[in-house]
Amino acid sequence: MFGLLESGFQFFTWGNALMLIIGAVLIYLAIGRKMEPLLLLPIGFAIMLVNLPIGGLMDYEHEIKAKKSGIVSRISVEEGRVFDKDATIVQADTGAIAAPVFGRVKEIKVKPGQQVEAGDVIAVVLTPQQTNQAEIPTKPIGLLAIFFSFGIMWQILPPLIFLCLGALTDFGPMLANPKTLLLGAAAQFGVYFAFFLSLLFGFSFNEAASIGIIGGAEGPTTIYVTAQLAPHIIGATAVACYSYMALVPLILPPVIKLLTTKKERAIYMKPTLRPVSKLEKILFPLVTTVIVILFVPASAPLIGCLMLGNLFRESGVVERLSSTAQTVFIDVMTIILTLAIGGTMVAENFLQVKTLLILVLGVVSFASAAAAGVVLAKIMNLFLKEKINPMIGGAGVSAVPMSARVVQVMGQQENKRNFLLMHAMGPNVAGAIGAAIAGGVFIGILG
Amino acid sequence: MVDMGLAVKIAAGGFGVVFFLLTILWITIGLTRVVAEKITKIMNK
Repeated sequence: MFGLLESGFQFFTWGNALMLIIGAVLIYLAIGRKMEPLLLLPIGFAIMLVNLPIGGLMDYEHEIKAKKSGIVSRISVEEGRVFDKDATIVQADTGAIAAPVFGRVKEIKVKPGQQVEAGDVIAVVLTPQQTNQAEIPTKPIGLLAIFFSFGIMWQILPPLIFLCLGALTDFGPMLANPKTLLLGAAAQFGVYFAFFLSLLFGFSFNEAASIGIIGGAEGPTTIYVTAQLAPHIIGATAVACYSYMALVPLILPPVIKLLTTKKERAIYMKPTLRPVSKLEKILFPLVTTVIVILFVPASAPLIGCLMLGNLFRESGVVERLSSTAQTVFIDVMTIILTLAIGGTMVAENFLQVKTLLILVLGVVSFASAAAAGVVLAKIMNLFLKEKINPMIGGAGVSAVPMSARVVQVMGQQENKRNFLLMHAMGPNVAGAIGAAIAGGVFIGILG
Repeated sequence: MVDMGLAVKIAAGGFGVVFFLLTILWITIGLTRVVAEKITKIMNK
């Protein structure tokens, strides 16, 4: 077993140091710049926790088994030592027995000269690596690994957060002006554009889908899809999604300005929307659930929970459930989810060229989503009697309610009489529904 | 080598499904409004 007292210094790498800096930057952005603090602060802290070696918070246990019968000739990596992916752990006369993951040896189960049969466990190793469980089964033993496995991989936390978001969301502006659903749909172009680009950059289909869905600008959807399709890149996609959601005030304005004229940005929209009856608000989640899940069954966990949360809110008879979902429950879920996501960002997992590419493709996904929304709004204006301000198309990038707020601010800058917030909330919440459907489509095809 | 034909199918098909479904929802919301108004009228009688 390990020594009586081990420190982390001997295992501390430059990668760990860089990750500590990244964690600290996220914490700074949360505290100093107030950027998505509910998310970036726990993610940043979790990054720091898992990059302090042998703390074991993100450890999984994996049993290395002999593939062929033979006699052990040498133990290549002693107990307590670290090793790289595919390193030889034990040498047998019939060949090397290698570890399919990086990590640290917990226990060697064989001795030199011992006969082993195919399938015998020769070593138990600890690894923070996210693996495909069908190929490399692991058992979570660290606290954050347990959060990740049972919260995210078991698909519990993202749908529950969607339930809370449903309780927080007023679909009224969208119901009052349902053509804005089309703008939310158009914004999903960004998802598929980034999917396509990712494939060109050499990512697999499952990875490309997980990268593309960043453009949906919904954290839980991104995490849900990536956990099912490409769990090994979940840290990068989640951080890209949440970071860009925080950076929407920087990403959206240049895209909108590039695609619109000053005159278009100044188009006046009446500040009041038609009143939506309570019955309509109650029927909407019921009808949407039935239609969407019949067409895209794989979206059932996300759409089902989103609409249930909204029914809590609009029914008016379960005030306690609605208020819990909007406050305490979403906070608890957020703490566990963000710690689990930050926990995946161990240096060996995160510091790869792939991560940088994912971050770049993520921003492309966001920008192209906003562009598609604006372009469709302009096309709609060719046919509409009462013109819409094309900037509200940019709010189809979900990031509720950040992108709608950005459009409101831009609208005020261009035309002081314009109050676009409620108009922009339509495509904004439609974008959230569209992203959940796009995620369901990916899972339905590739999952 | 990535099968680009399949990629186009997934991207175009996926985007098409999302657009189609949200269009259906748009129509449904319009119908829901009419139904809700009728129900409210009946209830108020």
